[in-house]
Amino acid sequence: MSRLNFLSSDRFVGLVFIAPFVVTALVFMVYPIAEAVRMSFFSYNPLRPDLTSFVGLANFEFVFSDPLFWDSFRQATIWTLLSIVFQTVFGVSIALLLHRALFGMAFFRGLLLFPYIVPTVVIALIWRWIFNPEIGVVNHFLLWVGLINEPVYWLSTPTMAMASTIMLNVWKYTPFVVICVLARLQTVPLELYDAAKVDGAGVIRRFLDVTLPQLREVLIVVIVFRTIWTFNKFEEIYLLTKGGPGTSTFNLAVYSFEQSMANLRVGVGAAAGVVMMIMLLVGSIVYLRIAGFGSEEK
Amino acid sequence: MTDMRVEFWPAVKKVLLYVLLCSVTFVVCFPLIWALSTSLKPKSEIFAIPPTLIPKAMTLENYEALLTGRQQYYQSGGTAQPSGPTPAQFFTRWFMNSVIVTIGSTIISIVVSTLAAYSLTRFRYWGRTAIPYFSLVGYMVPSIIFVFPLFLMMVRLDLTDSLWSLIFGYVCITLPFCMWLMWAFMRSIPIEIEEAALIDGASRYQVFVNIVLPTALPGIIAASIFSMIVSWNDYLFGRVFINSLDNLTLTVGVMLFFEGTHVDWGLLMAASVLMTLPMAILFMALQRHLVAGFGAGAVKG
Repeated sequence: MSRLNFLSSDRFVGLVFIAPFVVTALVFMVYPIAEAVRMSFFSYNPLRPDLTSFVGLANFEFVFSDPLFWDSFRQATIWTLLSIVFQTVFGVSIALLLHRALFGMAFFRGLLLFPYIVPTVVIALIWRWIFNPEIGVVNHFLLWVGLINEPVYWLSTPTMAMASTIMLNVWKYTPFVVICVLARLQTVPLELYDAAKVDGAGVIRRFLDVTLPQLREVLIVVIVFRTIWTFNKFEEIYLLTKGGPGTSTFNLAVYSFEQSMANLRVGVGAAAGVVMMIMLLVGSIVYLRIAGFGSEEK
Repeated sequence: MTDMRVEFWPAVKKVLLYVLLCSVTFVVCFPLIWALSTSLKPKSEIFAIPPTLIPKAMTLENYEALLTGRQQYYQSGGTAQPSGPTPAQFFTRWFMNSVIVTIGSTIISIVVSTLAAYSLTRFRYWGRTAIPYFSLVGYMVPSIIFVFPLFLMMVRLDLTDSLWSLIFGYVCITLPFCMWLMWAFMRSIPIEIEEAALIDGASRYQVFVNIVLPTALPGIIAASIFSMIVSWNDYLFGRVFINSLDNLTLTVGVMLFFEGTHVDWGLLMAASVLMTLPMAILFMALQRHLVAGFGAGAVKG
């Protein structure tokens, strides 16, 4: 094949088009991940790079024998589970509410999806403002209605701080569930509902027997995705509570960040990151199984 | 009588539905409404009891302070003293920095992923089915894992404290999803028109520019919106990569408003509103594409 022929051949065009992606992915994704794994086997202090040394599995031993790591793990599990349950319940409810042909629906849909694009920094600032114990509007309202008798310390008691971060997370990410469920609802054949109506099924029966089975697939995908992401979230917690009060809202991402940044134990932080990645890989395999990778390739 | 029932109940149902919709929307949007309200209040009204939802004495002084970077004075011991550089003075600069890194990283991610998606769906070679799934897994890797290795890489490239480090950093977190979305989108575009054009003698590049790009536009828009939202909203990379006040992005900079002895809530809420505004405009203009993009990328798979 002559050189000119090769340059205009399909094979060449295909390679030229994929090349930038391969290069970018290798440099900015594969390399950092490999580097993170490598760092987890080294003792590394950014202020004393001359003392860097290979320590084998010592970082992992440190992580697994650190009570704070297990606290973080437990707190991350609680925060993930509660976030996902509320996001799914609210998400499906709002999607059902929005899935109607009514005048002005685009307006309501826009407003209800809006929290998804609000920067986490902004939400954290607003949260600190409205949940402020002395001057915040939430306490003021609850006192006024009579639901509470004294101010609630939303961000400075462990339980309430956890509740506040969960609220923040649910508020921001419920729209994601709404978008996915709404997209699926639009493809449910109306005949199914008509048939159920003819059979005398009420609203609740129709939801349980028609809607829910149709949503099963999308809900599984959404829950797997959201679980993986929520478990590893950093900013949603760090910006609101910095993991506090004390360490009561630490999750693994905050743990890893604090080990690297505050304690300057970058190797330990990397080891915690590798543990997170392994859990994530297991989650991804579950997802790929569900999505049926390899079974429907064209 | 049956006619009355038919007309009466749907109407009641409709009213109830609107009441429900309005209440849900108000509760969901309340934090944002309250932020907007606070940002428009003078300092004296912010702490007023009972709090007012609609400011009695509406003012734009908080916005003015941010946009003009006016030097602020705090009362101390009877005389007003300049308080040194305040975050408000850097606001417009940080805003521009955020715009630059957001647009820069989005352009790189979109160009790279569009070219790759075309290649993956139109040519046959080893790995063409594995790459999209590899991207999807990459999308799930939390940025906390990337941030320190990337930071050390930037140190070696001498890019720390420059906006380039953030542009590259954001490519690393937006590229995987853009790749996945563009691939799903390109796969759904029928190949027949391209084949017809190729048979008629058009070159691959002509086909790509004149046929494929226009057809893929909705996907490109959805991926761009996603990429811009992620880059604009990021805090972690900005916090780790940048250390001079001049080069901070909005997210990291605004958190500095909390340093010092007193928190100016009016100013903070005005900053929050201004920071949300570009994303809000994007979102309103392109809501339809966002939903379509999610339908193509995130849900099917």
